[in-house]
Amino acid sequence: MRASTERRFRGTSDVALVGRQVYYEQLNFWLNPIAALFTIGFSVVFLILLASSTGNSHSSTLGGLRVVQYYVPGFIAYGLMATCFSMLTTSLVVRREMGLLKRLRLSPLPTSALLTAVTANAVIISAVQVLLLLLIGRYGYHVAFPHNTGALVVALVVGAASFTALGIATSTLIPNQEAAGPVVSIIFFVLLFLSGLWYPIDPHSGLAKFAAWFPIRHLIEAVYAPFDTRPGVSGWAWHDILVMAIWGALASVVAVRNWSWAPHRSGGGGGGRRWRLSGRATSRS
Amino acid sequence: MAVVSVEGLSKRYGDLNAVEGVSLEVDEGEVFALLGPNGAGKTTTVEILEGFRARDRGRVQVLGHDPADRKTARQMRERMGVVLQELAVEPFLTVRQVLKRNAGYFPHPRPVDEILHLVGLEAKVDQRVKTLSGGQQRRLDLGLGIIGDPELLFLDEPTTGFDPSARRGAWDLVRALTTGGTTVILTTHYMDEVEALSDRVAVMNAGRIVAEGTPQSLGGRDRGEVRIRFRVPAGLDLGELPVAAQPGRDGMLELRTDREVEALAALTTWALREGVMLTGLTVERLTLEDVYLRLTGHQADSPATDPAEVSR
Repeated sequence: MRASTERRFRGTSDVALVGRQVYYEQLNFWLNPIAALFTIGFSVVFLILLASSTGNSHSSTLGGLRVVQYYVPGFIAYGLMATCFSMLTTSLVVRREMGLLKRLRLSPLPTSALLTAVTANAVIISAVQVLLLLLIGRYGYHVAFPHNTGALVVALVVGAASFTALGIATSTLIPNQEAAGPVVSIIFFVLLFLSGLWYPIDPHSGLAKFAAWFPIRHLIEAVYAPFDTRPGVSGWAWHDILVMAIWGALASVVAVRNWSWAPHRSGGGGGGRRWRLSGRATSRS
Repeated sequence: MAVVSVEGLSKRYGDLNAVEGVSLEVDEGEVFALLGPNGAGKTTTVEILEGFRARDRGRVQVLGHDPADRKTARQMRERMGVVLQELAVEPFLTVRQVLKRNAGYFPHPRPVDEILHLVGLEAKVDQRVKTLSGGQQRRLDLGLGIIGDPELLFLDEPTTGFDPSARRGAWDLVRALTTGGTTVILTTHYMDEVEALSDRVAVMNAGRIVAEGTPQSLGGRDRGEVRIRFRVPAGLDLGELPVAAQPGRDGMLELRTDREVEALAALTTWALREGVMLTGLTVERLTLEDVYLRLTGHQADSPATDPAEVSR
C-alpha cells in the first residue's frame, strides 16, 4: 500500500514544520503582552527587589559570599521553572479544555512536532530570562558570569527537560482551566519557599532535607554551583542534576500514561453541546 | 467508490454501549448527515471515523485507511478536514496568522485569500481572533476546516450560532465544495439543514442506526402517513364526520392516515353532499422532524389515529 511506503519523518520539510510551529507559539506568547510581562517580569522584578535590599550582605550559609551571588542563579532557576512548569502547565490545560488540543490532534501536524515546538517555545522564553538575569546581575550588582559555563548549561538543559515533563504531567492531573492557575501557583510557591529561593537554607537543616525530596531545590543548587566562587568548588552539582533527571523521568511516565487530547469536562461520548465562551473569557484574562 | 465504509462498529464505555453494530457507507461527493439525540452515539461514531477514538469492534475504512492505524494517521489527516463544535482558536493571533499556520500543516492547501473570500472574512483578516463575534469565529472555524482542500470534511453542527444569512452562506459553501467532489459527514440538530444539504441521512438512537435514507424518504416519509387538516363550521357534531378527525391544539381538525385518497374522497363527498365548508383544508406529508421524533422514541404531538378507523 501507498501508506506503508511513506516515511513517518519527512526530513527537512518536517524540521521546517517544527520551525514554523515554534514561530506561531512565540507569536501567541508575545502577542499576549500581559502574560508575557508576568512570565518574564516576575524573575526580573524579584531579583532587583531582593538584590537592592539585602543583596550586599554576606551570608554565613554561603560561606561568606554576598547574598546577591545566590539570588542571580536562584532567579534564573525560578525563571526556568515559571516558564517550563507554571506557564506550560496552565497553557496546556487551557488549550485542552478549549478544544485546541483536539483540533491539533485532528490536523496532520504530528504529535512529535507539536511537543517539540511547545518545548522549544518554553526553552526560548527561558533563555531570554536567563540572559536578562545574567546581564542584570553582572552590570547591576557585579555578580560575575559563572566560572563554569558548561556546568550551567547542563544544569539548565536537564532542568528545562525535567520541569517541562513535570509541567506536562501536572497538566494531565488538573481537571479544568479555572483550577489550573490556582493549583499551579499554590504548589509552586509553597515549594519555592521551602526550597530556599527567598533566602539560602543551611544544607544540614531539617527544611533542606525535606525540600531535597522535591526537584526545585536541586535546580536552584545545580544552577548556583557554577556561580559559587569559593575556592575548590567545581561547579558541577551532579547529585542535584541526577535527582532532577529522575523526577523528569517519573513525570514523563505520568505524562504519557495520563495524556488526553479531549477536554476533561466533556466526558466520554455523546453529551450535549458545549459552549465554551465563559471558559474562553477566563483563559484570556 | 466509498470514501467511508463501516461495518459492525461497536464501542463501549464501561457498562454503556455507546455504539452498537453500526454499518454505513458514504460515497465520494456525497453529503451524509448523522442525526440523533444527545447520547445517541453520533459523536463517538464520528470520532472513531476521524481517528480520534479507538473502536472496540468492527471494520472501518476512511479514505482507504484504517483510522486507528497510527502509522497512516498523518496521511489520512492530510486529506480530511474537521469543523468541531468547540470554538477553538488561539485568541491572540490574527485571522491571517491562524489560517497561514494551519495551511502549513497540509501538503496542498488552498490559498489563504481564497478561504477568506469563501467564508466572508476578508475585512477581518488582520484582526485578532478574540475581537471577532461568535458567528465570525465559527466562520473562521469553517475556513480552517477546508484550508487543506480536504477530500473528506467532517462538520459537527457547523452553523450553530450563525444568523440566517450566514447559514445560507455556509450552506452554499458546502454545496460548492461537494460539487468539487468533497465528501461531507454532517452532524446537526437542524432539520432544515439536513433537508438543504444532505443526500442521505442516518438516524441514530441508543447506539444504533434506526433508519437511513434520503431526507425525502426517511422513515417512509414519501409513502405512509399524511396529515389532513381542516375546519368545519362551529356547532357541527363531530360524530357526523365520515372520518375520525380530532381537534388539534389550534382548533383545526386533524387526521393522520396512510390512505389519504380514500379519506379525502370520503370527506369531500360528504362535504359536497351536506353543503359543509372545509375551511383551510390541507394535506401534508410528515415533516422530517415528525419522522425523527418518532424514530428516536418521542411521540409527535398530535392526535393518534389508527388507519383502520379512517372511514366509517
